[in-house]
Amino acid sequence: MKNPQRSPTNPGSLRSRFTQVFLQSLLRIRKHNPTSSSSSSHGEFLKRCRRVKVAAYVSMARAVGTRRAWSRATLWRARNGERQRNLLYGRCSKSNSRERSLGKRKRKKKKKKKRDNEEHSFGHAKKLQKLVPGGEAMDFCCLLDETAHYIKCLITQVKVMRSIADFYSL
Amino acid sequence: MNNSGGSGGDDMGFPDGGNSAANCPSSGMIANSISEEVPMMAMSSMSTLERPPISVDPFFTSGWDTLASLSHNENYGSSSLVSHGNFVGSSYPVLMDNQGFGRNGSTQLAQCLSDPRLQYIGSGSISEMVGGSFGLPELNHLANHGSLPNSASNINSSGCERNSEKGAQSCECQNSGEEPDGSSAGDRRRKRSPDPSSQYCSNKNNEGDNSDVLRLQNEKKQKIEQPESADFSKHNTKQSKDDSSNDGEAPKEDYIHMRARRGQATNSHSLAERVRREKISERMRMLQELVPGCNKITGKAVMLDEIINYVQSLQQQVEFLSMKLSTLIPGMSIDLEKALSKEAHSRGGGATNLALNPGMGLPHLYAQGVLKGTLPIMPSTDQYRPLSQASLDGELQALYNMGFDSISGRMKPEQRM
Repeated sequence: MKNPQRSPTNPGSLRSRFTQVFLQSLLRIRKHNPTSSSSSSHGEFLKRCRRVKVAAYVSMARAVGTRRAWSRATLWRARNGERQRNLLYGRCSKSNSRERSLGKRKRKKKKKKKRDNEEHSFGHAKKLQKLVPGGEAMDFCCLLDETAHYIKCLITQVKVMRSIADFYSL
Repeated sequence: MNNSGGSGGDDMGFPDGGNSAANCPSSGMIANSISEEVPMMAMSSMSTLERPPISVDPFFTSGWDTLASLSHNENYGSSSLVSHGNFVGSSYPVLMDNQGFGRNGSTQLAQCLSDPRLQYIGSGSISEMVGGSFGLPELNHLANHGSLPNSASNINSSGCERNSEKGAQSCECQNSGEEPDGSSAGDRRRKRSPDPSSQYCSNKNNEGDNSDVLRLQNEKKQKIEQPESADFSKHNTKQSKDDSSNDGEAPKEDYIHMRARRGQATNSHSLAERVRREKISERMRMLQELVPGCNKITGKAVMLDEIINYVQSLQQQVEFLSMKLSTLIPGMSIDLEKALSKEAHSRGGGATNLALNPGMGLPHLYAQGVLKGTLPIMPSTDQYRPLSQASLDGELQALYNMGFDSISGRMKPEQRM
């Protein structure tokens, strides 16, 4: 069942798409931060790290497209992420509340039928819901589905990033 | 046409017809007349389907057996006859109750036999015909109503009504996806599957018709023929586990419709629950393949723990790699990017097992592996990037200053991006 769904995003094309988008975003980050090498402070470094990380997730979501709920959630978060990021610096509590409200809005946006999980693994499901982007609005069955695809894409992402890092570090 | 043999097809059937006639209290005297009429009936049903001049009472009482036996002679051995005989015996009171039509019943019987059975005779469903003939009282009702669009649906609805009303009767009706009353579909589902009182075909009913219940109308005729042929082969055999497994696969084809399997609860809620559980278990199996080292794990809770750990470790790897890349960004150039994209295409990713081998085994080692692997790499960049050494030093120090704890501490909020 998974394979026919996977064929439009088979590892070869998904990896190449992700590579292209990610490299473009890395170069864009490099362009936007030309003086980072000289005046690198702790905060600047962290900022850049976060930007690279966000770029990695967003480029993977773009490579996947809007087929998947988690990719949609990632892109949505990225689009409205500036608000979150501005609040994150120094104001954790407020940002958390803001994130929660944004998350609620997002949940209402793509709210699916929330089924009361009678599974005994309900506690684990909550944890998993937090890990997988967009997982809060899913029932257990869809959550597992999204998790599987998310794991596949994460593996691809890690491989590509590692290869890039190796390429540039050598 | 003699009393003893009749036409060639009567040899097997006549003794049974006689036995059943003897069993029937009201038909002891009718045996002779039956033997005359049955051949005609058989011929009519088999060939021309004319209206047989049979009186209602003998036909409905003991003519059933002979008719059944005759029809079965064409297809089965004599083993089926006995069961049919038993069947008729059990259905006596019911049939007798519906004798209000008198002569009309026979003619309508012939009509019903002729019209709807034509298509089924072609497919060899004599059993269906016989089974349907048991439900003739309903058919008479239907013929009176006469508004059913599809003759198949006539039979189906007759079967449905019959099963829902009289569980003791034959369930050889063709259950197809079309039901005249959609609202009662759930009830039929519930009532039809546990058919305990019907003897030989109850087993078959649950399984043989498993694949048929609630199919779409387009598939109706195709699906009808399939279980018919299946019915032939396992007409009188007790339901084996093979059948349940074979027919258990059929409900999975159509994920919307589900039928209760043998020995399972038939509540509509439990059916939906079962479908859901199967979906979940199927997805858990897929996840088991994805997450390395989870082949031996049985149990959803442990499996979910592993999945969560794996996802967390993957996200941590992304974090570390993004940190690494952010230090390497100054070294990037557009030319390198093109070369790199080509390399990323060709490389299978197996050459990049510096830090972490996903096949390591336990997921909690992932993070440690990355930690060990990433940091040693950082000092090596100093040798190759003398220009950006100062920045790298600073960033290396930043990395070391952050330490493991702070990195892991920052994971959670940063993971939310």
